[in-house]
Amino acid sequence: MTAQTSLPQRIRARATSTPGGIAMREKNLGLWEPVTWADYWDAASLVGHALLSLGVEPGDRVAVHSENRREWLFCDIGITAARAATVGLYPTNPAPEVRHVLADSGSRLLVVEDQEQLDKALEVSAELPALEHLVYLEPRGIVGRYDDPRLMSWEAFLALGAEHRAAHPGALEARTDAVRSDDLATLVYTSGTTGPPKGAMLTMGNIEFVLQTLEDDGAFIDPPAGEKDQVVSYLPLCHVAERVFTTWYNAGLGTQVNFAESIDTVQQNLREVQPTLLFGVPRIWEKLVAGVQIRMSGASRLKRANFAVWMKVSRWIGRTLVARQGRHTAATRIAYAVGWVMLYRPLRERLGLSKVRYAASGAAPISPEVLEFFMGIGLPMYEVYGMTENSAIATANVKGRVRVGTVGEVQPGTELRIDETGEILTRHAGTFAGYWNNPEATAAAIDADGWLHTGDVGEWVDGTHVKITDRLKDIIITAGGKNISPSEIENSLKASPYIKEAIVIGDRRKYLTALIGIELDTVGSWAQKRRLSFTTYRDLTTKPEVVELVQGIVDAANAQLAAVETIKAFRLLPKELDHEQGELTATQKVKRSAITAQFADDIEGMYAGAAS
Amino acid sequence: MTSRLRGRPLVRTSYAQDMALLNTPAKRRSTIALIVVSFLIPFMVTDDLLLVLTLGMISAVGAIGLNLVTGYAGQVSLGHAFFIGLGAYTGAVLGGDTDAAVTGYGLPIYVWLPAAGVVAAVAGLLVGPIAVRLRGLYLAIVTLGLVFLGDHIFREARTLTGGPGVGRRGPDLVIFGIDMGESGVVLGLDLAREQRQFLMALVFLIIFAVLGRNIARSGVGRAFSAIRDRDVAAAVIGVDLTKYKVMAFAMSSFFAGVTGALYYAVVGVFEPSAFGLLLSVQYLAMILIGGVATISGAIMGAIFISSLGRISGEIAHVLPFISESSGSGGLLSVFQLEAILYGVLIIVFLIFEPRGLFGIWTRVRNYWKGWPFSY
Repeated sequence: MTAQTSLPQRIRARATSTPGGIAMREKNLGLWEPVTWADYWDAASLVGHALLSLGVEPGDRVAVHSENRREWLFCDIGITAARAATVGLYPTNPAPEVRHVLADSGSRLLVVEDQEQLDKALEVSAELPALEHLVYLEPRGIVGRYDDPRLMSWEAFLALGAEHRAAHPGALEARTDAVRSDDLATLVYTSGTTGPPKGAMLTMGNIEFVLQTLEDDGAFIDPPAGEKDQVVSYLPLCHVAERVFTTWYNAGLGTQVNFAESIDTVQQNLREVQPTLLFGVPRIWEKLVAGVQIRMSGASRLKRANFAVWMKVSRWIGRTLVARQGRHTAATRIAYAVGWVMLYRPLRERLGLSKVRYAASGAAPISPEVLEFFMGIGLPMYEVYGMTENSAIATANVKGRVRVGTVGEVQPGTELRIDETGEILTRHAGTFAGYWNNPEATAAAIDADGWLHTGDVGEWVDGTHVKITDRLKDIIITAGGKNISPSEIENSLKASPYIKEAIVIGDRRKYLTALIGIELDTVGSWAQKRRLSFTTYRDLTTKPEVVELVQGIVDAANAQLAAVETIKAFRLLPKELDHEQGELTATQKVKRSAITAQFADDIEGMYAGAAS
Repeated sequence: MTSRLRGRPLVRTSYAQDMALLNTPAKRRSTIALIVVSFLIPFMVTDDLLLVLTLGMISAVGAIGLNLVTGYAGQVSLGHAFFIGLGAYTGAVLGGDTDAAVTGYGLPIYVWLPAAGVVAAVAGLLVGPIAVRLRGLYLAIVTLGLVFLGDHIFREARTLTGGPGVGRRGPDLVIFGIDMGESGVVLGLDLAREQRQFLMALVFLIIFAVLGRNIARSGVGRAFSAIRDRDVAAAVIGVDLTKYKVMAFAMSSFFAGVTGALYYAVVGVFEPSAFGLLLSVQYLAMILIGGVATISGAIMGAIFISSLGRISGEIAHVLPFISESSGSGGLLSVFQLEAILYGVLIIVFLIFEPRGLFGIWTRVRNYWKGWPFSY
């Protein structure tokens, strides 16, 4: 491949062709400050030049540890322009994980957002011999208090770039244009539900494949995304899904990226920006539904009645749409038009979804009830499937051919097959180059023919759509020898707004049990409505009324399941699971082994009654 | 660079958008609709009702003025009647008939109207410093003193005011050669006297309402609010108390002066007893019932209070035990009913709806704004 159009080259081309066009906005002190394509390329090239002047060579790794903001993209593009590789860290990563990622990747330079992230890096910097420079974006709390010689402010860093650019004009462009498709572009650290995070190597060629799939084949979105589309960037940029939706869509198709003020204001910022394209992980969509339920429960009688009526109608519309693969009938259209005035339009406007023409859920299985809720209020909602290792390109539901419960059809340019064990294999030019410093894991993931072993078990539906059953390693085999997929059961539990986490247990056991974490917001407001006093999360979980509430949800879920799949007993988790404590991964996925070890007593308690 | 995002009014790219007079599309649309409807009213409503509305709109200018000093700046003033009286007599003397028994100079409206405002404003400037030294109840009592001073002066200055029981005529209302006191064809429209006066009052109200709103949303208005909320804190953050309190009185008095001159030009004959404590209380009632520290509230309150006489008349039609004239039997007369309504309304609003008619409107608006949620 000639790679005439790498990621940075595309930004440069846009800066030349439409310098005044808006590339992104960021909200600061109440104002959405625009960044034009010219500004974007200028800042990115300053970063690139600064890296050159610090002696960063092609193939070196440069890490970024920040919330989503303009500088993240400036760095990402600047780093790839210098043919180095971007390593992203989750803002929630605790110091030991920061140490693991920085040490494993051997990053030479780290860009940190603020004092909080800087402290994590400095805490472990003694074990990071490769780390030469630390650049901080927010000077507050750092200037005048830290005297580490490796520290440098963002302004000083850019000044270094400006100096280098003045002394060596064209040096960066020459470096950028020498790009090769096997250049390492980024290391994406997997969330690591089982072991320490592994760095998946994505090359310039991989990204190019994604960009071409997005541009030429119109993957995901129909009609294709363009310069008028608005995206709100709020999920961690070090995750491949957000990278696709923020950086790559922006570079490839010119969509405008809007950065939320902070992680706490995402809901309000969504409402302001009213994006046209929105990607969320199931947790986000579930939280939106739960938020609607909470706010509705506090609404006046008339408003509650209005909501109840139109949600009933929407469920009917949703079911019809689901049955007809997302196509309307005349009756649903009329019902929807009236409901649009009464509920759906204002509800979507309040949630920031009124202009969304493409909403996607991915990165984890989502329960069909949540999908139906959003489809019912008129959101064009699609479940998609992909993973870091195949550059997030595998399958997607597309307009008019939606099948709820499946992850859709195989993307153009992708080969996908399901092997004898039921594992899904994919093959295309976007298949990653391997795990950094981990040839054994690489060999396990990619076979000799170039097929990527996804580790997901799936099956074909009607020969066109793929349905994911579960992660291969999560499949439960009961003592009775029955194969059970826990995630389906967990999702049917999590469809209730009162339940945040559900972990089904039963491997080599006589029956299934579950550890259930309640959603503090919803159960808290439910308890308040009942004048049930409680102090803490833990206190709430011990209330017999709450246990009863969850029992009701479990019973309802059991009614839908086959006898062997029913939950015979459950315990409420006495605390909210947390990334810092190692119970969740950075992407909020449950680390099963950590949980089962931590709550071993509770689990044994659930099986104690049944003398086996 | 203009970088507004189409169809997304909440995306602010400059603070000017945030502070704009009509900062949401809904406000823009409803304001335009309201103005259009207002201009159509004189062609749909009977003349006697038009006169009530005209006087209500002129009072609204004064109520906006009182709201600036009492609502926004928090300086309770019972002296508003005095400033209105000053404006009324300045207008009447400068614009009055040269041949009449009382003094009159026959000057045109573009002299007497601003002069009425300025004379009242100067009086406000003189009173302002008192407010710097006094707060709350004491300030109210001092401004109450103004009303008695004014009452005495207006009664005794017979060459200017005609004296009690006699009174004098207000100035002639002639703008751009159009006499508001006559009927006839204007700009191709056959307009009766009441229609002309209504349209004139509407134009003045719009001008002064925008002026009032601009004062309220500017730095001056924010300084007023700071003083109202806590004058010590305001002084600490750098608000010059003397300057802004004096400004509040001067601006408020200017509005009052303009109202006085216009109101009695429309009414015709007036006498000094009109500017007593009752008038001050009426204006306070306007802003309390309309809504403290809101321009639209002041307008609603002024029109409502001005229509109260008419409303009690209508009630008298329905209820047989209320006589329509004083003295002729019945349990109550219309005038007594009006006085009772005043009292009851003020009590009811202060207890149940302290934010006034505007508060009711906000509640209705928020109910729909929050749809489908309640918060």
